[in-house]
Amino acid sequence: MELLEYAIVGGILYGVFFSLVGIGLNLIFGVMRIINLAHGQFIVLGGYVAWLVSRHFGFNPLWSIPLSVAGAIVVGWPLYAAVVPRLQRSDDPEMLSFILFFGIGQMIEALTGMAFGADQRSLPSEALGSGNIGVLGQQFPDSWWIAAAVSVSCILALYGYFSHTRLGYATRAIMADRDEALATGISVDRVSAIAFVAGLALAGIAGMFVPYLLGSVSPDLGGELTTTSFAIVIIGSLGNPLGTVIGGLVFGLGTMLMQTYYSSWSNVVPYALLLIIVLIRPSGLLGKEARHA
Amino acid sequence: MKTNASKTLKATAAAVAMAVSAMAAHAAAAPSELKIGTLYASSGPFAVASQGQYEGLKFWAAAINKSGGAFVKAYHKKIPVKIVAYDDQSSTSTATTLYNQLISQDKVDVLVADFGSVLTSVAVPLAAEHHMLLIDPTGSGANFFTKKTDYLADVSIPSSTVWPVPLANYLLQQKIKRVAIIYGANDFDASQAGTLKDVLGKGGVTPVYYHGVPTTESNYTVLLHTIAATKPDAVLEFGYAPNDIAFLRSLAQSGLHFNMTFSIFPGQLIDLMTKNVGAKGLAYTYTYPTPPLVKYAKVSYGMNTADFVKAFNAAEHKQPNFLDSAGYNTGLIVQHMLDTAPKFTQLDFHQALMDISGKTTTLLGPFKINENGAQLGQPFPVAQIVPEGSGTKFVVVYPQDKATGKAVYPAPKQ
Repeated sequence: MELLEYAIVGGILYGVFFSLVGIGLNLIFGVMRIINLAHGQFIVLGGYVAWLVSRHFGFNPLWSIPLSVAGAIVVGWPLYAAVVPRLQRSDDPEMLSFILFFGIGQMIEALTGMAFGADQRSLPSEALGSGNIGVLGQQFPDSWWIAAAVSVSCILALYGYFSHTRLGYATRAIMADRDEALATGISVDRVSAIAFVAGLALAGIAGMFVPYLLGSVSPDLGGELTTTSFAIVIIGSLGNPLGTVIGGLVFGLGTMLMQTYYSSWSNVVPYALLLIIVLIRPSGLLGKEARHA
Repeated sequence: MKTNASKTLKATAAAVAMAVSAMAAHAAAAPSELKIGTLYASSGPFAVASQGQYEGLKFWAAAINKSGGAFVKAYHKKIPVKIVAYDDQSSTSTATTLYNQLISQDKVDVLVADFGSVLTSVAVPLAAEHHMLLIDPTGSGANFFTKKTDYLADVSIPSSTVWPVPLANYLLQQKIKRVAIIYGANDFDASQAGTLKDVLGKGGVTPVYYHGVPTTESNYTVLLHTIAATKPDAVLEFGYAPNDIAFLRSLAQSGLHFNMTFSIFPGQLIDLMTKNVGAKGLAYTYTYPTPPLVKYAKVSYGMNTADFVKAFNAAEHKQPNFLDSAGYNTGLIVQHMLDTAPKFTQLDFHQALMDISGKTTTLLGPFKINENGAQLGQPFPVAQIVPEGSGTKFVVVYPQDKATGKAVYPAPKQ
């Protein structure tokens, strides 16, 4: 029973973090209908920013959060301007974005490999506290709780943006129907650019916690993170950023329960869940209707 | 009498002519360079280890070419060595294509596998299919060596069925009864875990926890808690370097404490492990110390371990690790194979390796392969990493004849 409780608490913490890992991918898809296959590589970049902040400059890695946001603006805005409007004028933006961002992801992976080498990099354990915090008698490292707290904060901030700001209303309008949003005078391009930058910033923030929850960061980690994010997004609901929270929780709980009771199959969890969800409910757990894209 | 003398003269002339023409043909058939084909990974989970192995091999090639090349007995001459290498990015599917290219397109003379069992696994059947001897530096998975073969030789690392025997004997000697084993679900780790379990079983010890995890596993927090619930005295983790980093970091953060913790790669890549886990996180961990941490002073072929360290350091301006040494040793064994094989064929290469087996000691220790291609020599002792100043040092604790100190058991809480 104690093992089950531990797996559930661990699964929730792990799942909340993976909600943050996947939410940027879903935000970008929801607003622009483009698939950012370089999402995992942007997460890895966030991990390297944290590594530089901590190991190179000696600051607490949490300082990498504002730097990741700034980096997302500096990199994301020109990238959006250069790529996204062209993609959206094409006949099949989803498929073209798939190919284009795959290429961008490979370039980022190669560049990080050249800049940092292929070896694993990690952050000092004590930087986020070297103790453990217990809830319901279940002790988890401080870093897990901080990762979950930051993830919840980011998700709440995104929720607040969607439900309490004019730009957020406009974003939701574009997600509902891009053409109607254009017809009502919404600056679709500007709102999309903000969503794109926000998606990259969320990826960068998630990257800061990767060395704590996944042991270390290395250039090759991006592909796996993209795949896992994609599975989480589909489980929740493609195009609905808040559905990613449900997807993340299902993924986290599934993984931790499998680790506890049948560890060698734990990496099958996201894909088995993905298969089941696609077969039973193609629109995802929070989806309203099947997509016909 | 005259007729006989004339016949003898003619026969001698004919023999000389044949010998001369054979030698001429021989000389003509000798290649201008020896093509040694191999793969390395510039990215992916095996990159660090693979690049080390590749650097060691290149270091050997540079050294041998400085002396005019490798002596090839089949041609009675030295021939320069050329390494043909491709990047498989730690991907088995890419490696399959590239091994094929080395064999079919580049037509290499000697085929050397990439690092580790995962990237070697795809080369084993390919080499056998093309009747090429696969020189396997560090692929030690037990599944490779289940039947007699002329096309596989594990040259620089003991077979996975040999590695854990000293560790198992140490556990039995120390009367450690509650043992937890967690291993990566791949040939390398699973076969070590399996052997360990068998040897412990023969000694009357049944592991209290024995489970595999995916090779890509990167989060051990919940797993460690599940292990702790079985109340083990010793927790043995078999993984690749990224697994070991994640495992030891999770352990350090978890607040859990075990009397004995073991993992593989601190003994092979101590710099990488220290950088990621920290000296405190590694303190009192047990591992297999490998050359150059363990030194072989008396060798029968090539430089001894200490001389290799000096030479590598002088040429590359860095201290070699085990993988650098394994790559160099691979070149050395290839060199010995070439100067022993009477003919330039793959079967003769294999026979040459069998001939030098059991009679050769290199910087990695005694070279001894069986008819299945498994390396039975080059044994790894058991060591504990103990704090020393702000760093750590290795203390070999088993076997007794190699021990440099006594283990700190149970490990103190940090």
